[in-house]
Amino acid sequence: MKGQKKTKRIGVFVCHCGVNIAGVVDVEKVAKTLTDYPGVAFSTNYIYVCSDPGQQMIIDTIKEKKLDGIIVAACSPTLHEKTFQEAARLAGLNPYQIEIANIREQDSWVHVDKDKATKKAVKIIKAHVEKAVRNESLEPIKVEVHRRALVIGGGISGIQAALDIADHGYEVLLVEKNPSIGGKMIQLSETFPTLDCSQCIMTPKMVEASRHPRIKLLTYHEVESVSGFVGNFKVRIKKKPRYVDAVLCNLCAECEKVCPQIVPDEFNMGLSFRKAIYMPFPQAVPGTYTLDAEHCLGLNPVRCGKCKDVCEKKAISYEMQETIFEEEVGAIVVATGYDLYSMQALGEYGGEKIPDVINGLEFERILSASGPTAGIIRRPSDGKVPKSVVFVQCSGSRDTEKHNPYCSKICCMYTAKHAMLYKHRVPDGQAIVFYIDVRTGGKAFDEFYQRTIEEDKVLYIRGKVSKIFKDGDKVVVWGVDTLTGKKVEVEADMVVLAMAMVKAEGVGDLLRKLKIQTDIHGWLAEAHPKLRPVESLNAGFYLAGCAHGPKDIPEAVAQASAAAAKVGDLFAQKELSHEPTVVPVDEDKCSGCAICITMCPYQARTLDTERGVVVVNEILCEGCGACAAACPSGAAQQRNQTDDQIFSMVTAMMKG
Amino acid sequence: MKVHYYPGCTLKEKTTALDVSTREAMKCLDIELVEPEGWTCCGAEYPLTEEKIVGLAAPLRVLRQVREENGDFVITTCSFCYAVLKRANKAIKDDPLKHKRVNAYLRDDIKINALTKEKTTGFEDYNGEVRVLHLLEYLRDHVGYQKIRSRLKRPFGGLPVAAYYGCRLLRPAKDMDLGEPDDPRLFEEFLEAVGATPVDYPFKQECCGSYLSVSLPDAATEASYRVLRSARSNGAAAITVTCPLCFYNMDRRQDKIKEAFLDFPGLPVLFFTQILAWALGVEKTVLGLNQHAVPADDLFRDAPAPEVTL
Repeated sequence: MKGQKKTKRIGVFVCHCGVNIAGVVDVEKVAKTLTDYPGVAFSTNYIYVCSDPGQQMIIDTIKEKKLDGIIVAACSPTLHEKTFQEAARLAGLNPYQIEIANIREQDSWVHVDKDKATKKAVKIIKAHVEKAVRNESLEPIKVEVHRRALVIGGGISGIQAALDIADHGYEVLLVEKNPSIGGKMIQLSETFPTLDCSQCIMTPKMVEASRHPRIKLLTYHEVESVSGFVGNFKVRIKKKPRYVDAVLCNLCAECEKVCPQIVPDEFNMGLSFRKAIYMPFPQAVPGTYTLDAEHCLGLNPVRCGKCKDVCEKKAISYEMQETIFEEEVGAIVVATGYDLYSMQALGEYGGEKIPDVINGLEFERILSASGPTAGIIRRPSDGKVPKSVVFVQCSGSRDTEKHNPYCSKICCMYTAKHAMLYKHRVPDGQAIVFYIDVRTGGKAFDEFYQRTIEEDKVLYIRGKVSKIFKDGDKVVVWGVDTLTGKKVEVEADMVVLAMAMVKAEGVGDLLRKLKIQTDIHGWLAEAHPKLRPVESLNAGFYLAGCAHGPKDIPEAVAQASAAAAKVGDLFAQKELSHEPTVVPVDEDKCSGCAICITMCPYQARTLDTERGVVVVNEILCEGCGACAAACPSGAAQQRNQTDDQIFSMVTAMMKG
Repeated sequence: MKVHYYPGCTLKEKTTALDVSTREAMKCLDIELVEPEGWTCCGAEYPLTEEKIVGLAAPLRVLRQVREENGDFVITTCSFCYAVLKRANKAIKDDPLKHKRVNAYLRDDIKINALTKEKTTGFEDYNGEVRVLHLLEYLRDHVGYQKIRSRLKRPFGGLPVAAYYGCRLLRPAKDMDLGEPDDPRLFEEFLEAVGATPVDYPFKQECCGSYLSVSLPDAATEASYRVLRSARSNGAAAITVTCPLCFYNMDRRQDKIKEAFLDFPGLPVLFFTQILAWALGVEKTVLGLNQHAVPADDLFRDAPAPEVTL
């Protein structure tokens, strides 16, 4: 390596980027100045180096001038490094002999003084020449891939992702923490903008998922921990005891009849009751009873045991234990869904204390034919049919001061749907919607909203609601009509709050186990907001559905299919490539102090206690360099980013 | 025990009932109230309404005087004084520029030595050291309801009373920090401690109309009416206030409310300190009940508690 020093032939290509660079930097002068710099064998400038002719020029020049390394002085390496690495490869040059000198974002875009910007460009390029003459040729690290996927979350997104991956021909583990798959979508009544019954379109998917030969359905299971890396994850999964053998259970419902414990029914949002031994809903998949240990009198035949006594199939066993098992997968799709923002947070809207102020999902259950009121709209307090209902959009959304600053996206549409369905069921009732804006960006969405106003005569008032309180039999809503500037007071029978969507309750713990990134609101972070919307920055993790942010059913399904396609991409590869610019350990220099281990965010480094040195799992290393900066002995040197390279770059910069 | 007490000007002039009942009640709890030497008006709402630095001088002088007298905190009963003192205090703690500019005014104040009467200038900067406590807060956190209960001579026998916070006591919540403004418990807990039954009603933190009784009296009449009606229809035999202005709007102007709203039969308005003092054994004659436009005497009977008719 040392022997190559200064004997390399380096080529410099200065890009104009139209006027982006050339408008501020004198590119010709830069190219000319570099001609004389030690190591530079060739230097030129070109209007768009990233264009096809620009790349061809690079390829031809590498061959013609027998270049050992090149500098492309252009935009940020995040944009075109791959482009030029590929060009180099076509010219027979190792892609890691390419350096990108960023003279756009770090120079021409941030300066106006042409003379100084030109000098700065020269310095930046000289520094990269110093680095390039010291670059090694590297080969990507290869690793096997385990062609089996884990999907976390059995809502519509998880089910869709699982079905698609399974249809691609790969095995899928679908983990759902609840007794049945179905998620939030199975709770909905009818779906906008077509008003098709949610259960009718959801249950076929659920059945398909449960019958698919390549999908292993793990309901009432939770992911305990995940280790390993893309293509080679080891997942520990906890099986929660159901206390009912799903195979033996014939759904005779005798156990439910005798169970003395009555608890609020989660599926009906607490608007009705279930027993401690229960089936979440009639179409539950898998179709079996589950004994909820938290509410059972004690899983003890001495204390109760009625369900066990009555079960002819002997399906009930109080002896079942929690078990944990390990599975190996190559990719993980996270589809953990969302929850609604707690009404308790909205004290001004009654803070959940007024029974006839409900959230959107509760209203979905009231609307649903299988719901607590069999589809007849009744208010929770006294079961009366409400003759006036106020719908409050943006409850807890778009509120930068106290609640969530973001738009929950689906509420405009589902509120229009709620108001419309209410009017269909209670034609002489009054439906009033308070809104900030009505956002109907979707196929056939605005037409639906117009229909709500024009055909179903729903009254839309632009303005926020300031206070909701109970006054006798009525729920009083104070708001403002910002189009007339007048205060509005409505005495309603019921209020439906379009509560903000927030990250699923308890999902934070899971995401910490997965070690994947979220944004400040706890939504999963995508690798790139536009170009890589279904991948996590952590390789091997894919995002689907509302875990990534509020979205409606078609979007969630589309994203799930996209995530599944990405998993297919991964599994289609013979082996995986990993960037070779990692940080190995020079064992001669390593003292085993283990400081680098504490710095590593990827658990790539471990201490070999026998030999007293640190060893690196190069597959896990993401090349962030934190360990290299911390290593006191210089044993941790990042490939093509060594201390020697960095110092020579700094020296070149300072020399001018 | 001596504690600093800032009555504010209204309590010295128009609403002495609040001041007198406070003093009498605190005596029963072995607490001596000391007024800061040479206190002035806090500026009422004015210091909070504009971004003028000089407006902050008045409330901060009061607080600085408490510090000069080695006081850690000052208690007050008037909601307006409480809001002004507390928010002026917070303003200079949160904003270094305000702190600097106000102290530039205050530094040159003349200091009079209490003993020698010698006059000097050059105060140390006031940095918001003195805590501002509402009497309700002081009773809860420092005296303790347990002690109040143990001293009760005439517990109210479950008299249904509406706690009225008004607009000033709880908001803005970030500044006032007296608990969740939409579901407050402070006043209710106090009423329970003296043996009354707090009545829940939705208007407890709505405005009574405040100064609109000067510029737009009809608006204040309506605002006060809605509060009183809501309290009454939820079963209150009386409404308790902490603020002299609320008292003025709801008690002194109650004849106007009755004129405008014929369905309203009237509701006595009490200061919370009158309730406290009487429960602790203070005689009715010193509670200032003669200042009330709506007779409230009937509520203060030794036993049994009056029947509530709606």
